[in-house]
Amino acid sequence: MKEESTTRRGFLKGMAGMTAAVAASPALMASGNPEKENFYGYDEKVVGLASKIKSAGSIDFNYPDNDSPCKAVMVNGQIKAYSLLCTHKGCPIVYNADKRAFRCPCHFSEFDAELDGQMIIGQATENIPEILVRVDGDKIIAYGVNGLIYGRESNLKG
Amino acid sequence: MPFSINDKLPLPPVGAEKKNVTCEFCIVGCGYTAYKWPKGTSGTPKRNALGVDFTQQQPALSGVWASEQMVNTVRDRDGKEYNVMVIPDANCVVNQGQNSARGGAMAATLYNKSSFTRDRLLDPQVYAGNNLARTTWEDARDLTARVLKKIIDDDGPDQVAFKAFDHGGGGGGYENTWGTGKLFFKAIQTRSAAIHNRPAYNSEVHATREMGIGELNTGYYDTELSDTLFVIGANPYETQTNLYLMHWAKNLQGATVAAKKKEFEKGETAEAARIIFVDPRRTVSVVNAIDLAGKERVLHLRIKPGTDVTLMNALFTYILEQGWEAKDFIRKHTENFEKTAKANKTSLSDAAKITGLKAEEIKKAAEWMAKPKKSGHRPRTAIFYEKGVIWGIKNYENIASIVNVAILTQSVGRVGTGVCRLGGHQEGYVRPAPPKGMPGRQNLVVVDAEAAQGNYLAFFAWGCNPFVDSIMGERLATSFKRRSDIVKSAMSRNIGADNETMADAIYRACKYDGGLFFIDVDIYPTFKSEVAHVSFPAATTMEMNLTSMNGERRVRLSEKVVDAPGTSKPDCLIAAEIANALKALYEKEGNKEMAKRFEGFDWKSEEDAFKDGFAGQGAKMDSQGGPTGTLATYDLLRANGNNGVQNPIVKVSNGKLVGTRRLYTDNKFGTKSGKAMFQPTPQPPIPKQVANQMKKYEFWVTSGRLNEVWQSNYHTSRLPMPSTRWPIAPVQINPADAKAKGIRSGDLVMLYNDYGSVRGVAYVTEETRKGELFMAFGFPNSPVNNIVTDFVDPDTKIPFYKGTAASLRKIGRVEDIADSMSFKNRV
Repeated sequence: MKEESTTRRGFLKGMAGMTAAVAASPALMASGNPEKENFYGYDEKVVGLASKIKSAGSIDFNYPDNDSPCKAVMVNGQIKAYSLLCTHKGCPIVYNADKRAFRCPCHFSEFDAELDGQMIIGQATENIPEILVRVDGDKIIAYGVNGLIYGRESNLKG
Repeated sequence: MPFSINDKLPLPPVGAEKKNVTCEFCIVGCGYTAYKWPKGTSGTPKRNALGVDFTQQQPALSGVWASEQMVNTVRDRDGKEYNVMVIPDANCVVNQGQNSARGGAMAATLYNKSSFTRDRLLDPQVYAGNNLARTTWEDARDLTARVLKKIIDDDGPDQVAFKAFDHGGGGGGYENTWGTGKLFFKAIQTRSAAIHNRPAYNSEVHATREMGIGELNTGYYDTELSDTLFVIGANPYETQTNLYLMHWAKNLQGATVAAKKKEFEKGETAEAARIIFVDPRRTVSVVNAIDLAGKERVLHLRIKPGTDVTLMNALFTYILEQGWEAKDFIRKHTENFEKTAKANKTSLSDAAKITGLKAEEIKKAAEWMAKPKKSGHRPRTAIFYEKGVIWGIKNYENIASIVNVAILTQSVGRVGTGVCRLGGHQEGYVRPAPPKGMPGRQNLVVVDAEAAQGNYLAFFAWGCNPFVDSIMGERLATSFKRRSDIVKSAMSRNIGADNETMADAIYRACKYDGGLFFIDVDIYPTFKSEVAHVSFPAATTMEMNLTSMNGERRVRLSEKVVDAPGTSKPDCLIAAEIANALKALYEKEGNKEMAKRFEGFDWKSEEDAFKDGFAGQGAKMDSQGGPTGTLATYDLLRANGNNGVQNPIVKVSNGKLVGTRRLYTDNKFGTKSGKAMFQPTPQPPIPKQVANQMKKYEFWVTSGRLNEVWQSNYHTSRLPMPSTRWPIAPVQINPADAKAKGIRSGDLVMLYNDYGSVRGVAYVTEETRKGELFMAFGFPNSPVNNIVTDFVDPDTKIPFYKGTAASLRKIGRVEDIADSMSFKNRV
């Protein structure tokens, strides 16, 4: 079920960067070809090594640019990565490895690292954006963002 | 997602239309700014109406930002499409730029044919064939009026019952309480009335009013100045979020000491606040307060349910024994003190036995509330209560026992004090009384129960869902469905009939066959639509101009931003439609006297209803605006923006409305003598009905709100985030009980007792204790009120929603539910 969800949202992502006019037409979104995945506009970036996550539990990196701090963690044998800016008011969220959840120290929003960043409790209106990553050998490669990062009108600035 | 795109948003161009919006959800009433601009136009990251340079990352806390839920696309009645952005207003003193999970999604709640709000009711409907079919306003109001006329003429107006909102915010407001109140009380003249979330027409706080203290007597700024915050039966992080996060948090962290020094007496000790919670559950509010203040400054009294009165009486007694009472104030400004002190005398050891608390804990609470500060000054204690006690074992004594302690310690009228309900929704009351007045509180009719037993011929469910928000929900739903079906059969036998013939068939089915003519007024279809014969579509926040007041009596004009969906209308204008249709019928038959009763509804807009009601009645009616409400106009309120004016309005100065920060600063209270009145409050026994359930069933069951869910879940069950987070109501189960029952988080469970049954999803957590279950309230697909008894406080007719007993059965597992929501500990 989660797989399907990623695919669907991934498709929407592909449409996202096209034009403002398309962006404002939900009807167009629903009628496209859902098989095509294209994370338009995002650069691929090696953000760390899988072996390091296995030994250290997590790695910090910036994506898609240096103003966007992120963290990759290992949950249920899988590498998942998230934005570290709370989608409520932008405070840096803190990872609790035992709980496999992120908590915001400002207004106590909490997000589940095992469930695509779902808000467990809190005042954000969005789950925490997931950084889409794949593993190539030992390299972790970020290739897109699922959800709008706090403090931006577009994940890709300018 | 309203917008279907999740990594880029449109921006309002410079010059985009800008409106003030007050949050439609909780009582705090945060200020928001709505921008609207034609689709196809857009600001740029550098140049936009927000004045923000989005080529730069916005900073935390102070940054201006719109999440995906804060943007939507709408189509107005001019056929044109617009983008709308609704973001928290940094200049509003209430929320200072902050949103809650609820208010932050207001843009997403707007009607958008391509989103999850697509099932909004667009046109009136009548039952035809096997379902509700869309029709014209003329048709729906004509049929409704014809049936009502027969009932009023032949059986009397009390056979027309109504259950409706009486509040502010979305689905309420002064315009709409006035419109509906005028229709039912002045025009139809029925006394068969019930309020949206309870089965009779009553106040939830009769006790405090009779003791001379209105229930909303302080201001949010004053809570930044309190030495001690005492919170009983409330969970403000989840239900009054920005009061907690933007005002209390600062005080608990010591960030308001400088302001205290300015406002306090010379030499008076000014430190960070301490906070006391009285709650059987370990709530998110308690846990977060420990983060804010440190555990030494947080006291959680994990009380045995139903024993709040004993705790309050023990606090009263101990404070008195220590000589910490406000002696001078009691002598000059109160009455009934000696009698109450004697009647309420409760020792710490007795209280400890009854409440399950330690005597030391009760003592500590008394010290924080009343022991003189280092400087010798009386602490400034603000006392807050809400549904945990309002809907507790006995409404009247629960509230009175709290107010007793407030009067004893002069926790009212002074800077940093107050004794207030925290509130659910905003307030918005202005209504006439029915011609002969309503019966006294002890003689009020429990309308929902009467209807279930076969009383009344017509029933309006107006902006509320009686099968979710009333007593013994399952029995109520079954009875309404049976009575509705009798009318539906009659209607089906008369397909093709004109409205007069159909009205006659409906009337006969009600009068002679036990049917009930059911009229639904709402914004979405719900389970109650299935029993409706006529339905009218209403408008809500942002679709009309709407005035309400928040928990510190702050009145704002929440402006219209978009056109209401389809042909839907503000409730006040729906009331006018029905009144005018009845007037026309009486005029037609030449009954001038009756036609006159239905006059006064020639309103063209909601502003006309505002002018007639809140701004027109003053002291003539029961109005929260009081005598000076007449000073208010839409223009003046608009000029005061999202900061509005706190009731009562004092004057208009330089084109600005000036209001009142805090009540009772002069120690003149709302009793005949002007003195605050103590009341003896013995501990109430467990009601017979509840005791019977406790004997037969295993668990104590209480209920309450979740942060992400609002009222009967009408918007929030549709929004992507809350509906994924909470697809059905969770049942919180202590790990020990879960283990004993072989239940794990994500299992579907059933709670059942003599009154009914309800299903929910197990959420194993330390929030609840062994033997006590907590189920989320307000879910139409899993209504906990199915297992609530029919008990109401005989003195106020307020139910004991918070207490029942039930047994727990595991049903099994639906993987889609179990896998899609997080079951991690919230505390």
